[in-house]
Amino acid sequence: MKIAVMSCIHGNYEALDTVLRDIDHQKAEKIFCLGDLVGYGPFPSSVVEMVRSLDIPTTQGCWDEDIVEGLNSCECSYPSMLAEKRGRLAHEWTNEHIYPETKEYLAALPKVIKEDNLAFVHGSPQSQHEYLLPELDGFIALERVLSTGADTLFCGHTHVPYVRTLDAGHLRLMVRTGAEVPEGEMREFNAPLKRIVNVGSVGEPRHGRPNATYVIYDTDRDRVTLREVEYDYQKTCAAIIERGLPAIFAWRLAKGLEFAERADDASHLCERGV
Amino acid sequence: MSMSVVTETSQKDLPVQVWAIAGAVGIGKTGWILQQIEQISAPVVYFCPSAGNVPIDLTCLTAEFPHVQIFCDGQELELIEKVEQGAIAFIELGFHLDLRSGDMLLDTLADRHACKRIALVPSELTSSEWHDWADEVIEVKYDIGFQDLQIWRSPFTGQVFDPSSLNVLWYEITQGAYGEVTRAKGIFDLFDGRAFYLDFVVGKEDSLYLPLDLPLWLDGRPDRFSGLEVVGRNLDGKAIAQCIIDCCLSEEILLHYQNQIKQSRQQSSQVAA
Amino acid sequence: MSHWAILSGIEANLTAYEAVLEDIKRQVPKVTELYILGDVINASPASEKIVQRIRNPRIGELVPQVCKGWWEEQVLMLHGFVPDIEPNPLAEKYGVAAAKSLWDNISKETVAWISNLHFAFMEFDCLLVHGSSLSVLEELTPESSPLLFLDRIARSNANRLFCGRSGQTFRYQIKDGSLSSNVLTLDGEEVSQTYNTSDRLAIGVGNVGSTPNMATYTIYSPNTDLVKFQTVRYGRSKGFGKT
Repeated sequence: MKIAVMSCIHGNYEALDTVLRDIDHQKAEKIFCLGDLVGYGPFPSSVVEMVRSLDIPTTQGCWDEDIVEGLNSCECSYPSMLAEKRGRLAHEWTNEHIYPETKEYLAALPKVIKEDNLAFVHGSPQSQHEYLLPELDGFIALERVLSTGADTLFCGHTHVPYVRTLDAGHLRLMVRTGAEVPEGEMREFNAPLKRIVNVGSVGEPRHGRPNATYVIYDTDRDRVTLREVEYDYQKTCAAIIERGLPAIFAWRLAKGLEFAERADDASHLCERGV
Repeated sequence: MSMSVVTETSQKDLPVQVWAIAGAVGIGKTGWILQQIEQISAPVVYFCPSAGNVPIDLTCLTAEFPHVQIFCDGQELELIEKVEQGAIAFIELGFHLDLRSGDMLLDTLADRHACKRIALVPSELTSSEWHDWADEVIEVKYDIGFQDLQIWRSPFTGQVFDPSSLNVLWYEITQGAYGEVTRAKGIFDLFDGRAFYLDFVVGKEDSLYLPLDLPLWLDGRPDRFSGLEVVGRNLDGKAIAQCIIDCCLSEEILLHYQNQIKQSRQQSSQVAA
Repeated sequence: MSHWAILSGIEANLTAYEAVLEDIKRQVPKVTELYILGDVINASPASEKIVQRIRNPRIGELVPQVCKGWWEEQVLMLHGFVPDIEPNPLAEKYGVAAAKSLWDNISKETVAWISNLHFAFMEFDCLLVHGSSLSVLEELTPESSPLLFLDRIARSNANRLFCGRSGQTFRYQIKDGSLSSNVLTLDGEEVSQTYNTSDRLAIGVGNVGSTPNMATYTIYSPNTDLVKFQTVRYGRSKGFGKT
């Protein structure tokens, strides 16, 4: 069976619409969404309505959480004054424009979804705000997957897709408990093959092109395909300007840049728990 | 007994004391001047007419050559006096100025001192206003279209940037988010107390990022000059100004960073001692 | 050369604390630092006395460096210094009445003192904390996954993590390990990398006050990386002939 996993739509209705048609074309039987339905883009409620009407299992993203609870991003999100200012503008605009029932829907979204040997989260199993970057220390990445009990962990949040395979994990331990056991006991820890799949972003690309990215996973063949889909991004750019969002967002979208810079430090581990 | 013959020497044979430099935008006028100054041991004075309240080149020059005396609009008489006393003068005419605007000053100086007009021109150009004006033309490889250019400039003395915001601002300006930009240069104060000169010329892949040789400023808002000049077409000055405002640190955040830096510098100097 | 005595879980047991202090005084080489990793108090009225004792060391005694623990965190939650957690840990573990006891038995002054306690200490490459680098409330035990330990140790750029939440004394060493990683990106590029780790240590420092007549604590020498677990028996059953 093929499943499609997408994330980070950010109110970009045009991109979502095109991606859904591509998913159809790919003959995926089930769709999962990893949150950040709203934030920055011009059609937050329409995006939520579309996802909801299709009954797509969705996890809560960091933006979704922030809109529900009031702005409260941790340091992970904004490394600069400019990014913070733009994020705040986007947050205020989104807050003013989304319907109350949209907020209710976002508030009820789960942080983690598990199905068979697959797990779905927005940022990481620890927090919606933690980035699982491809350069993250391998042992820490492995810990994140193992903590879900799944073999494959799907995540978003970074807006740049990748497939990471963690294999041949092996640790030798020496554990001594109490003063009564002076030598300690030797233990071995072996981890089976695990995978992290980052599904990219539908609505706010960060890979230098304005196209949407998402992932198709073939459960029978255990194969992951990263998909990049062209859509009419100019429509979204026009809507950004027309609906009163900062015009610079339109320019950045056309260049395939995120609207407000995110922190890039793979070694920064999030102190905010789920 | 031999007698030395003293022949009358004309001003043409005297070493040049006043240099006037003009040329296309971003062609390297200031750079050429800096190269000359490096080789001169005599006192040097510099004058850039209409630099106004955004004296970017002046500031960089003083940082690198603190002994050079700078003159601004309205100080022409003092400049003349310094030249009388033997200083070498460099007068830079910005690309946006009428070449003739410097004539009055140059004619006055030329009466009593050897003057030379230098124009830096694109190598494909065979005749131009610059050719008519200059005593010497220096040809430079140059790819910029320089017709119908606008200029936008603003001082922002006292404003302090964090490096990430500055990087984004600079990227957006130079990559065309606020209009087609041919040339951009600015001086920016960062929260770690350093001042940077940034320089972009279209066609050159990398901008220049130069830390200025100035003391660290760690006590509140700096009162040394910082500002930006952008040259191009269809410039959205309002959006540039708003972006600058969005980049800058509030007083509270600035003081917080400055205190942290001062504390850690104190600690390292204690350890060293 | 420094030698650290690291305690946790005094839980208002003044007698146990005094016994441990005596034991520390007897140590050769001399102990140079004293760390108390939280759970100084509990909900009992005896908490005030132990706090006073710790805040007022006698002449010649080491000045303890105290960070907050599970009990201190409950006080902070109760008084609104930190956000509540659902379900409330205090009610869950000790029942609803425990909150009233905590409220009644911890003075305003002690609450203020607790609110100023550090979360953790970082010395050289050692992190000293009650729970873990993620949270005061997290319990690390010898059965915890080595990957969990690696994550908690890495968070503070440490190589050694001392913790007290479990109340156990243990020395958990990750001797070495490796892992292969392969990353495929959108442009079709694949990057392979091997990760290695070696010599990470997590130490459970024991518990001073919860077991009657027996206290455990840890002595650590950063220069030699030597860990010693101390057991101190005190009270009437101490001494020869009686168990």
